[in-house]
Amino acid sequence: MIVISDLTKYYGKTQALEGLSLEIGPGEIFGLLGPNGAGKTTCIKILTTLAFPSRGGARIAGFDVVQERAKLKPLMGVCPQEINLDRELTAYENLWFYGRLFQTPDLSRRIMDLLEWAQLADRAHDRVKGYSGGMQRRLLIARALISRPRVLFLDEPTVGLDPQIRRQLWDMIRQLQAEGITLMLTTHYIEEAEMLCDRVGILNKGHLIALDTPGALTARVGGYVVESVNGFRRRYQLVPDKDAAYAQARQEASEVVIRRANLEDVFIQLTGERLSP
Amino acid sequence: MNAVTIFLKDMLLFQRRLLRLGYVVSTLFAPLLYLGAFGLGLGKRVVIAGTSYLDFLLPGLVAMSSMTNSYTWVANSLNMGRLYYRTFQIYLQAPVAPWEIVTGQMLAGVVRGLFASSVILGLGLLLGSHLHLNGVFLLGLLMNGLVFAAFGVVVGLKSKSHEDTATFTNFFILPMAFFCGTFFPLEELPWWLQKLIYLLPLTHTNRLLRTPDWGMETFISMALLAAAGSLCVALSILIIRRYSE
Repeated sequence: MIVISDLTKYYGKTQALEGLSLEIGPGEIFGLLGPNGAGKTTCIKILTTLAFPSRGGARIAGFDVVQERAKLKPLMGVCPQEINLDRELTAYENLWFYGRLFQTPDLSRRIMDLLEWAQLADRAHDRVKGYSGGMQRRLLIARALISRPRVLFLDEPTVGLDPQIRRQLWDMIRQLQAEGITLMLTTHYIEEAEMLCDRVGILNKGHLIALDTPGALTARVGGYVVESVNGFRRRYQLVPDKDAAYAQARQEASEVVIRRANLEDVFIQLTGERLSP
Repeated sequence: MNAVTIFLKDMLLFQRRLLRLGYVVSTLFAPLLYLGAFGLGLGKRVVIAGTSYLDFLLPGLVAMSSMTNSYTWVANSLNMGRLYYRTFQIYLQAPVAPWEIVTGQMLAGVVRGLFASSVILGLGLLLGSHLHLNGVFLLGLLMNGLVFAAFGVVVGLKSKSHEDTATFTNFFILPMAFFCGTFFPLEELPWWLQKLIYLLPLTHTNRLLRTPDWGMETFISMALLAAAGSLCVALSILIIRRYSE
């Protein structure tokens, strides 16, 4: 559904994205994971026609993201990182104007269906400026779905939301996958990538440093982690299984924590840095 | 179709802002101040170009209000929408052609300009001013709104910050308000400055609103306004086509 080849973007001399190549299949939830400034949003901007690549390109549903923008736009929905709703308008009005831009048939019905889905139907005619962060996020996703897109881009969809609302949004995203929509999301939340994504690409400083299923990526670095805490110092050791973890723990003089390896450990192993500061 | 959608959205936002008293006062304050201070103060005591100063001033203030409101609305809403609220990006990611974005924004700017100039016009007439409200006058006012709304689109798209928009206002809009014949006849200025000012669009709107008769001068003024507007529209479409973050 999405084919990215050698995608590169420079801002002046600053390299935001370098030679990204990957393919995303239909109906897949693909996550781009990486710290701030890794190039995730730049990638989404190019794919959603907001930026031109410096080199390389991408095709979505067979259409080139630079040359065939007009054909591509009706097929995709975009949920940006920032909440770019019109705050002075109501939820209904926001969807109405957006739906008209996509020439959505039977628009009023579609709006009410989406507001029901986003659990906002009872607040349909309230101005968005009175909504909570979670409600605004749900409306943003509903807006991206108005044209019944085949591909949905979600840039940091749960950033700044509390865990309960985050889980609610994850359920919504899974529901969209069940309806056959291909989803590409960016995140710097480990749990989000692990819980939601069929496959994950890890970006660091514009480079794709790993690409696989979350399970395969964590298995690659070892199944378990032994964390030893000594004052303010924290040491991580990756071990292949539970027995090895116990054996390692017995050798430690300080307090230890044994846990399953996660994508953060993969990132540390690959870069020597933590994913989230 | 999309141009109408963009226009309707801006009109709804405009209607909601109109209900805020502070917003209306701040929008109309400057021209009302000029009308009060110069129109009433000098009003009928001073005669310029064979008419009372109030009669001379009113068309100038109408043109100036149309210019500043059409320009400011579009430049600010695009600039803020692009850099801060990111609502402009919605148009770029939707199947909307660049010309539709430009047209929708321009029409919204024109309505706002016409609203402000109508208030000034009404008050001026209440104060006893005389005007020739005919087709040339109305067409001139409409063209003025279109030209400056189109200029607003260019500024709104090119500004790198909100301060940038203010710089464009200070260097282009403010000098035009004072030197293009709003407050005094151009004949009072040195000849070389008159030549330069002849190229500025507000000069021609002022001419159309003060002497609204069909003649060669009128056609030249309209042609120059149309050229200025077309140039801004072409530039705006080009900027949107090349837009990349």
